[in-house]
Amino acid sequence: MSIDCDLLVHERRSLAEELIYSGASYLDERNWDAWLELTTPDFHYRIGAYSPEIRREMTWLEHDREGLRALFALLGKHHSDHAVWFRQATLQRVTQESQDTLRAITQVVIYATSVDVGDVHLESGSTRLFAVGRYHDQINWFEGRWLLADRLVQLDTRQLGIGSHNIV
Amino acid sequence: MTTSRLSSWKRNLGSPALAYVDSSIYTDPEIFEHELDKIWRRTWLLALHESELPEIYDYRTLTIAREPVIVIRGEDNQIRAFLNICPHRGALLLREPAGNLKTASPTGSGKHITCMFHSWQFDAQGQCTAIPRRRAGYQERLECSDASLHQVACEVAYGGFVWVHLDGQAPPLAEYIGSAFDDLRPHLEAEPLEVFHHHKAIVSTNYKLWHDTNSEFYHDYMHHFNRVTSMQQPGYFERHYTPFANGHVTVSSMTVKYNAYEHSEHALAESRDLSFPGLERNGWKLLDLFPGMTVNLRGSALRIDTMTPISADKVLIEFRGLGLKSDTPEERRLRVRDHNTIWGPFGRNLPEDLLGVTNQGLGMQVGSEPLHVLHGRQENSAIHDEVGLRCYYQEWSRRMGRSARAPYSDTHLDLYAVRSVGAGEAK
Repeated sequence: MSIDCDLLVHERRSLAEELIYSGASYLDERNWDAWLELTTPDFHYRIGAYSPEIRREMTWLEHDREGLRALFALLGKHHSDHAVWFRQATLQRVTQESQDTLRAITQVVIYATSVDVGDVHLESGSTRLFAVGRYHDQINWFEGRWLLADRLVQLDTRQLGIGSHNIV
Repeated sequence: MTTSRLSSWKRNLGSPALAYVDSSIYTDPEIFEHELDKIWRRTWLLALHESELPEIYDYRTLTIAREPVIVIRGEDNQIRAFLNICPHRGALLLREPAGNLKTASPTGSGKHITCMFHSWQFDAQGQCTAIPRRRAGYQERLECSDASLHQVACEVAYGGFVWVHLDGQAPPLAEYIGSAFDDLRPHLEAEPLEVFHHHKAIVSTNYKLWHDTNSEFYHDYMHHFNRVTSMQQPGYFERHYTPFANGHVTVSSMTVKYNAYEHSEHALAESRDLSFPGLERNGWKLLDLFPGMTVNLRGSALRIDTMTPISADKVLIEFRGLGLKSDTPEERRLRVRDHNTIWGPFGRNLPEDLLGVTNQGLGMQVGSEPLHVLHGRQENSAIHDEVGLRCYYQEWSRRMGRSARAPYSDTHLDLYAVRSVGAGEAK
């Protein structure tokens, strides 16, 4: 099944917001399975950043859907920063590339509320800015639903402290 | 003075014969200041890779022991280093982390370094070329030839890495490295390398604790990835350390079994021959260089750690990833993926290592009661031996003129008597 006409502006904006914002909510909740349900089987995920030091675009993490599923499954085997993340997402623009493909750009600001890294006697419960960047999403019409087919997280922030085992 | 129970607990773990250092060397701000003077301003430091300066007039900026430095490729294609300070009034000259001088600054001409403050100009070889209204203001008392940039020692070697030494009277780099690079050179010098990754982290810990982590593998217990792909695989416990003069140490190779990491896409890497010239497939060699650089060649990716100590309890660590300049796009993609799956800011190992040293920084805070930190594992230099630490602190003690074991005592300068390759030629 495919869409047989262009979406109205408010329609594509509304469906992109619903998909991206609910996805951010699932990621905040670490509800990985629910988030993966919002992606197509051939979903591709990448975290990128530009380095002005080496003057190159970099790829910091890249996985397909099964790679992400494995990453989530193994989180418990790693010693991680368990800060609670708060993804503030703001959809900037949506364009329709074809009848069954949309492109969306979303600003994302990630705050981290400390749990177990640093002097927790002093710092736990405090909130810091972890990173800012943008989601560059491709959204496809797939089996009767609009789903994420590709996500590039382009980070402006390049200093991430100890880093993270999570995805952004 | 009486000894408190806290002090007694912190200083009495095991036999007195166990090697240890006093944690004051990690926490005392005065010792840190001496380190900047006696070590960081007086040793060769790996600054960057020549592939970061591919074009004439390309430059990079960095800070060494609080001195801002420019590294630049001149019109004669030679790479030089200068203090990034205008000799006129002490202002920083170049502000960006990297760039190219062909682009003119708002108040200066291209192919020159122009101080934004009063428009003094310098060429890429550090010569002053313009002082606005020089004659009117300075008459005969100052010529352009009096106002060159301060050049610091710089060499390009061992796989195209750019090394800098703040002391203009530095001995040759080769004397400092000795034979420590010999095992890696065939892999790193067979063809040009290229940097593909750079990120940095400011960590609340002493810089030596990061180098300590890079100098012992006992902490592989912390890493699920390393446990399953290395520690549980054949050859791991046959890896061994070789100490070298000047505090350097190498670790011999083994074959990493990447696809032992559950569901790992590294299984792909095992089915390929992507490696470095002459390196066995999925081999793993490592070199730690005093006072804080690590060359880590594993499988398809080369990782370089460098450090900029900020204070006794804070350090900037820079991480680089490199492949071969001749890589096809697909080869490069695989190297990037393999590097960052483990060592990127979202990798499986690096956050654990950084968390580990952050926790050490919390356990040994500035002003806290000193602790004896054990470096006493002895397994005939095999992989969980801590000879790398002992080698480092022997050199640290020699350069500092004080013992890492008893930093406030006049005795015990020959801390561990580690037997090093080339020890008679220490510089």
